[in-house]
Amino acid sequence: MLQAFQEVVKDYSTPPENTLNRDMTAQISSYVSFLIECRPLSISMGNAIRFVKNRIAKLPITLSESEAKASLHSDIERFINEKIIGADTVIVEHAVTKIRDGDVLLTYGSSTVIEMILVHAHELGKKFRVFVVDSRPKLQGKLLLRRLIKRGINCTYTHITAISYIMHQVTKVFLGASSVFSNGTVYSRVGTACVAMVANAFRVPVLVCCEAYKFHEKVQLDYSICSNELGDPNAISKVHGREDINYLNGLTNNAKLKFLNLMYDATPSDYISMIITDYGMVPPTSVPVIVREYQKEHLLQSSKIVI
Amino acid sequence: MWRESASFILDKHQNNKPISLTHSIDSPPPPSASMADENPNPNPISAYYQTRAAHHGIVTSEWLEQAQAAVRRYPDRDSLVSGRPFSVIEDFNSWRQQPDLAEAVAAIRALAAVIRASEATTMMELEIELKKASDTLKSWDTTSISLTAGCDLFMRYVTRTSALEFEDFNSAKSRVLERAEKFGEISCKARTIIAMLSQDFIFDGCTILVHGFSRVVFEILKTSAQNKKLFRVLCTEGRPDKTGVLLANELAKLDIPVKLLIDSAVAYSMDEVDMVFVGADGVVESGGIINMMGTYQIALVAQSMNKPVYVAAESYKFARLYPLDQKDLEPALRPIDFSVPVPPKVEVERSARDYTPPQYLTLLFTDLGVLTPSVVSDELIQLYL
Repeated sequence: MLQAFQEVVKDYSTPPENTLNRDMTAQISSYVSFLIECRPLSISMGNAIRFVKNRIAKLPITLSESEAKASLHSDIERFINEKIIGADTVIVEHAVTKIRDGDVLLTYGSSTVIEMILVHAHELGKKFRVFVVDSRPKLQGKLLLRRLIKRGINCTYTHITAISYIMHQVTKVFLGASSVFSNGTVYSRVGTACVAMVANAFRVPVLVCCEAYKFHEKVQLDYSICSNELGDPNAISKVHGREDINYLNGLTNNAKLKFLNLMYDATPSDYISMIITDYGMVPPTSVPVIVREYQKEHLLQSSKIVI
Repeated sequence: MWRESASFILDKHQNNKPISLTHSIDSPPPPSASMADENPNPNPISAYYQTRAAHHGIVTSEWLEQAQAAVRRYPDRDSLVSGRPFSVIEDFNSWRQQPDLAEAVAAIRALAAVIRASEATTMMELEIELKKASDTLKSWDTTSISLTAGCDLFMRYVTRTSALEFEDFNSAKSRVLERAEKFGEISCKARTIIAMLSQDFIFDGCTILVHGFSRVVFEILKTSAQNKKLFRVLCTEGRPDKTGVLLANELAKLDIPVKLLIDSAVAYSMDEVDMVFVGADGVVESGGIINMMGTYQIALVAQSMNKPVYVAAESYKFARLYPLDQKDLEPALRPIDFSVPVPPKVEVERSARDYTPPQYLTLLFTDLGVLTPSVVSDELIQLYL
């Protein structure tokens, strides 16, 4: 999305009676509403958009149009490099120190950061094996599994229904996150909370890896319905590739039956042992500190920025 | 008891050659008839714990002479800082000879002296020198958390000043030196500040359980006694260091009623205890503490019986570690003396310390104030940002 915005900036030209700041902000807002119509924004996208708008608003009026565009372009470039790509490198460095020889790690779904960590640890020569846990309907774990196998990492693939069976063998659980809220609650792919709770019951430490730009100062008390995203109901009523499982075929239009395909769920902070961010390894209680420091760094003297 | 006393100054870790000053160093590993629990083993023993053990004894003037003789006898060992007339290890050791001074504070003072004696002409050079000195000190004993944490925090504190942007190097250097001395002073005074802050928590007629000989906790109890508070102390024996006995001696001298318990009697006596006071070797990022072996047990028992556990730790002990479980720490071993000979096939758990997770701790008394365990990470993030 940020790269698309970079293109927007490049192709932009100020209309005659308007200033760059206001007009571009309005343009970005209209693009954002288009994006929202396609699919609700994720929290990290929201933070990135806030950053871009803040940067636009702070452009000094004295700059010429091409200078302003170049500065915006480089700002976005820097955000991508520092906060996203650079952050991943730092997280990987911290996380591999926690992987010891003989470890049995468990991961859920497919997270890019987790994949980078496991690959890097394998390259460093650490001996470990991985349980990849997956769930319907997205079955994203299969993608991660393929990539790990290609690197030669010892993997086991299982469905989420089997986690209590295998959890006693696991030494550490690594999870990715879509966002982390101020009270330490981790907002991630649906099913993550189950994995974390079962791990907690077996006293296995749960490590969540999340870049700092994904942190948000909101607090969600109700763990699923408060704000979530609904996916395609047909995805759960049908099984891809198995036409014989058609028990729910006639019922999609039934008034009394609702297919609830939730995309996200929230894991309470009690089940999380540590959060690994580009600010280092922190306990879940320190998330508001990071949110505060992060905002101080990037949104200094920010006026009201409305998404 | 002190026939091998001066040996702890010798850097066994760095040189790895058996430097023998007295006969007892080469004596075989335990058991031996005397209570030679400071007997250095061929296996790496945490020098930090040796130092603590040595400090618990009485420093006589002839011991001091021995110590100085030891330092003089092996001058070349200090040429790690490549042949400069000022050596940070020498300075560090000279500070460390005072038993009242914490190791990390000695390191901080030594690093401040490095700045003072430095001949660097640019800020970068000074920082590099400091970093080298700090690394040397840290490698002197890799198991000591407060030493590593103290050095790291000193580096951050000192270089975190806008004075570094001054054109004039000398003024920048003097500013850096000022901050260094200030940090040294704060660390030195930390104990008195902590003692003052904790006075409110000790009420008349209370019973305090203490584990391990922490100088900070001792200072707290001493100050309370001076303020004419009436309280009673239960000391755990603290095997294998026998620190409990030493602490009991010191407290008895101050006329504080003391009762000694063996380590296994903690749960038995927990009913009559009002609060638990422990020190810390290091405070980790999760808010938990690393302290003498047995602290975790006591914290577990205290929590299950709803007794508060208070930790007294100076702020330079905040370390950037985050252990997930007991084995996630750097091992620090110490010799354990069972009075009967142990057959060679039997393994002995010789770890000297354990990790207490933050959920079992009630409050931390630091020179920054009385804090909850979650604030540790807050402070560290702010400092390391």
